[in-house]
Amino acid sequence: MNKIRFDFVIHWIYAIIWALLAISGFSMVSAKFGWLLNYDFTIADMVHRINAAAFVVITFISVGYEINRKIKKDDRNLPWFIIGKSGYQLFTFITSLLLIITGAIIWICMEIYKPGVAFALLIHEYISYVALASVVWHMYKKTHILLWPKNKTKSEAK
Amino acid sequence: MVQKPWFKVFVWFLATFFFFLASGVIISLLKPGPSESEVMSYMAGMMGAMENSIMGVLMSIEGNNSLNVILFWTISSFPFIIIFSIIAGFYLRKRNGDKHDV
Repeated sequence: MNKIRFDFVIHWIYAIIWALLAISGFSMVSAKFGWLLNYDFTIADMVHRINAAAFVVITFISVGYEINRKIKKDDRNLPWFIIGKSGYQLFTFITSLLLIITGAIIWICMEIYKPGVAFALLIHEYISYVALASVVWHMYKKTHILLWPKNKTKSEAK
Repeated sequence: MVQKPWFKVFVWFLATFFFFLASGVIISLLKPGPSESEVMSYMAGMMGAMENSIMGVLMSIEGNNSLNVILFWTISSFPFIIIFSIIAGFYLRKRNGDKHDV
């Protein structure tokens, strides 16, 4: 069995957490979106908060890993890693940080500073739309990972 | 790993999930409404969450003084931590990066 890579594992854990955050988050956006989880706010709220904590942990583990790589001058290419210096990795890094910061403001300041929460909710919602669209684009661009290896013969493929 | 059948099924499942979710979001955005029954269901769902979910638990502990003090100091120190981490990031990049990086 091949050695399982850290960036590969992080990528798919992040994908599962993001999927759960997306379905629970979008179902709470407004009355028009409620049907996504059958108007069950309790489940949506629980799933969103628990996965938000996991999302923060996984993002900060990734940031720490990337900083450690930088300190050790490790320039290996990590194609599966969720954050990086350019392209979709940079986009994911920026959107993740914005979602975490606005999400923390929404969670912590709910009863303390309502205008700030309203603004954070707006940013959180619109970044989520952009991020969901980008995930669909990302999957389209990466469909080649599901192709069978080229050296596989027809008899093996059957 | 990505060529294993179970993993392909998992990826197809997750990809399908995201495609359907994107479709659901587009339908929700473009459909007319919300209707009165949708708003009532939404409000009823929110009231249920106030009683049974973490949202309700959080609302009941906001009168806790020590928690409010911790929240105050956390929020006050947040900008300074961000500024410090940005400076530390630039310092590390300058120290370890190549000349053309900075």
